[in-house]
Amino acid sequence: MSEHITKIREVLAETDMVLGWTASGAGGVAAPARFHTAEEAAAAVFDSTCVHNLAVHLPRLKGRTVGIVAKACDARSIIELIAEREIDREQVRIIAVNCPAVLDVKAIWSRYGYGARVEDDGSELRVNGEMVDRKTFVQAKCANCTESKFASASASERLKLSEDFKSMSVEERREFWRDQYGRCIRCHACREACPMCYCRDVCIMQTTDPHWTGGGIDAGEAEMMQLIRVNHLAGRCTACGECERACPVGIPLMLLMEEQNRAIKEMFDYRAGIDPEAKPPLLTFDIKGDAWGDA
Amino acid sequence: MSTSIPQEGIKATDPLRPEPATVLEVITETANIRTLRLAFDDPALAESFSFLPGQIGQLSILGAGESTFALSSAPSRKGSFDFSVMRTGVVTSAIHELAAGDRVAVRAPMGCAFPTDDWKGRNIVLVSGGIGMAPLRSLLFYLLDHRDDYEDLTLVYGARTPDDLCFAQDRRDWEARTDLDFVATIDTTCSGWDGCVGLVPSVVEEKAPSPDNAVAVTCGPPIMIRYALQSLDKMGFREEQVYTTLERRMKCGIGLCGRCNLGPKYVCTDGPVFSLAELRELPDEL
Amino acid sequence: MRFISGENIPELLESFSAGGSVVWAPRELTGSGGTVLFERWQTGDPIDLEHFSSLSAKDVVLPRTEKLFGYTYAFGGGGLGTSGLGGPSVGGLGGALGGAPGEKLVIEPAPPEPPTVLFGARACDAKALNVLDALFNNPEGSGYKDPQYQSRRDALTVITLACTTCDEACFCSSFGSGNAEKAGSDIILYPADGGLLAEAVTKAGEALLAGPLFEETQMSPPPLAETTRIEGLESLEKKLPGIFDDMDFWQRISERCISCGFCTYGCPTCYCFNIHDEMKGDREGERQRTWDACMFALYTQETSGHNPRPTLAHRYRNRINHKFSYYPENQGMILCTGCGRCIRGCPAGLDIRDVLSEALKESSKEQ
Repeated sequence: MSEHITKIREVLAETDMVLGWTASGAGGVAAPARFHTAEEAAAAVFDSTCVHNLAVHLPRLKGRTVGIVAKACDARSIIELIAEREIDREQVRIIAVNCPAVLDVKAIWSRYGYGARVEDDGSELRVNGEMVDRKTFVQAKCANCTESKFASASASERLKLSEDFKSMSVEERREFWRDQYGRCIRCHACREACPMCYCRDVCIMQTTDPHWTGGGIDAGEAEMMQLIRVNHLAGRCTACGECERACPVGIPLMLLMEEQNRAIKEMFDYRAGIDPEAKPPLLTFDIKGDAWGDA
Repeated sequence: MSTSIPQEGIKATDPLRPEPATVLEVITETANIRTLRLAFDDPALAESFSFLPGQIGQLSILGAGESTFALSSAPSRKGSFDFSVMRTGVVTSAIHELAAGDRVAVRAPMGCAFPTDDWKGRNIVLVSGGIGMAPLRSLLFYLLDHRDDYEDLTLVYGARTPDDLCFAQDRRDWEARTDLDFVATIDTTCSGWDGCVGLVPSVVEEKAPSPDNAVAVTCGPPIMIRYALQSLDKMGFREEQVYTTLERRMKCGIGLCGRCNLGPKYVCTDGPVFSLAELRELPDEL
Repeated sequence: MRFISGENIPELLESFSAGGSVVWAPRELTGSGGTVLFERWQTGDPIDLEHFSSLSAKDVVLPRTEKLFGYTYAFGGGGLGTSGLGGPSVGGLGGALGGAPGEKLVIEPAPPEPPTVLFGARACDAKALNVLDALFNNPEGSGYKDPQYQSRRDALTVITLACTTCDEACFCSSFGSGNAEKAGSDIILYPADGGLLAEAVTKAGEALLAGPLFEETQMSPPPLAETTRIEGLESLEKKLPGIFDDMDFWQRISERCISCGFCTYGCPTCYCFNIHDEMKGDREGERQRTWDACMFALYTQETSGHNPRPTLAHRYRNRINHKFSYYPENQGMILCTGCGRCIRGCPAGLDIRDVLSEALKESSKEQ
């Protein structure tokens, strides 16, 4: 950990602040923090409970030079924000970390009670002092990660849902989503947690002019709202999974994003957040040649 | 300031449900301000409806939405009432499309009125700009209807250009009166205008009404209010002598939805009329 | 004490439905990763009395969407005889607004809803109803009543499950009698061997417990769980104004917040609402009331573009002040019952207890 703190302090010397984590959450899990001084940085940690994507704060910090501790998935969001010119490359210093694969803290607390003490020393995972099987609690999004140590360990129910979903018929999917949207309360946590949803105050899901979605909180409006969100993220979603993690009523939003990201890869051979110089295909207008046919 | 529990025009039993009303007349005041003369469809209500100057109402175009406006007509006029509306957004744009005969709905009156009883026997100085004249128009009519209860009446009303001044007919009447000192002013010289030129706060300072036994009421664009308050302070008006009306985004208008609060007070029920002394007690969240 | 065996609980709820009531009970939603919510219960639905719900039960008095009234522009009589002056209808959405010449505007209030039984609420949920009553259900002559809220409240039976377990997020004992609070409930249930013990709090509760599914018992109720407790929250009413202008404090305290609004929506006492119109076709529609949150940026946004609460820190400041200073000043109760939902559900790990402790510390410093 002291290497981590040293790195943060180095970056602090050339930035206004560093976004990172301290172990100040319930049960000793990590919670997002901002370090302004070398002293504050002494509390910095990085472990498998650092689930948040701190890139979401970057658009709000325009004009400041910001250091940011980033997992590989977070870094993709930062790169995509740079590619879209929403943030200035010169204003960000990425502090890369070796992420072992993050835990589904919500699932742990659902099983063991909120605030259960989570301790991960890098090989053994303990909850309230008892050893638990890591497989059940590695986040589903980590299963495909090539960077993390325990990626292939993930065997959660959520991962199974991803597999099952792929083989659902259109009618089955329709029923599935009708069920899911029924409990959407339009709290907009999905939008607020997403680093790419930086439209915020002028978000089309909320404007009255044009009035795309009604104001009611029900399945019909929720479906419209989610489909708008998904479509606006086409070719932009970096699969960080924050939307799903933030959802207070457990709607598996990443199922939609996974489908769309698969389609974008097939159609345009493109994944968001890999190349800061990239021209995202759906933000590019090229009348020369056939972008769908020719290379 | 005590909350006046409204009377007819807003059901105590269902205060979120508006009463159907019809547009009688639309008066174009300026390029972006119109006055709507309305009457409730229910004949008994149309007759009995009453309000006090400073109170507000909510005008609905069902389908577009509902917005808050000051009642701008004379409280003594029965059978109809006015809202003066500046076009700024979705609802006000829809309101600007209305014509005589169109159906709307109204919840009124709401909020606190100007404490005109407390002001009896005193000099009243009205300072306003642009659409801010709307609630002060209602107040001025009231004061003129009870002229003997008050001492000197002064009105300074300004706008950017002559075309931005509202209430042309009323201004002609006010100019003709000898019991009211009325100055209309525009920001910079303009051909065809031979009246006063100058920003409202400067004109007030020039006029220099005495703060002794006086009350000042100001309403207008935020920047005008800010400088007007500075001027009044320079002229010796104390905070208890200065009143203003506040605007906030409102929805329910009855102190329930939690939106228009300034600290523990709601602009819709504890206001919109506030004295500067009262505002000083409230958190700075303007 | 009365007792009902576990296997009779569905029958009990069935008897409420058969009597014409809508029943709300907590259950885990399939495919939701363990989310428990209060939902309308129908025969065959599971009931989860073990876990804490992610959202509160406030839907029973403050639905997330409700129809206030319907409106129609219709031909056929009425008005002040001004149809001769009929001008062009208001343009915009389908040309209906304002009605066509000769059309009348008819407003129909929404019909009253059937009585409701809330089964399996917790003490924090039941107490929240009392807290909301202080605003929405004012006694005659002291401010507005909300007739929609009132009619639901009057027809609501609250059957509360006492908490013999709690978790780290609970802090209800910071407020009054905590989870021993009986006010707001008609019946209190206690977990027992093979079923639930039941204690009547009101006459209505007594009548229900006289039913055939309950039997007399000598069993005594188990002890209630002890939650964490923050001292001195009542003092915030007077202390918070002192640090209102300290934006550095509010900025620091709300740093990790992402402004999502879940804390408001999950809270049993947050009540702020929005009102808007929804057209259904060309000539009719309804005015709806929905949940809203002061944490949203657009909450106080004025059409002029001015926003009195332009940043997250401003909005968070208002949230804390409303709950712990303004509502106590106006309604005499703190707008919080310590249920901990905002803590469990916050995606950014913001804990209101840290905020309150800091606020207590900071505001005592200033004095």
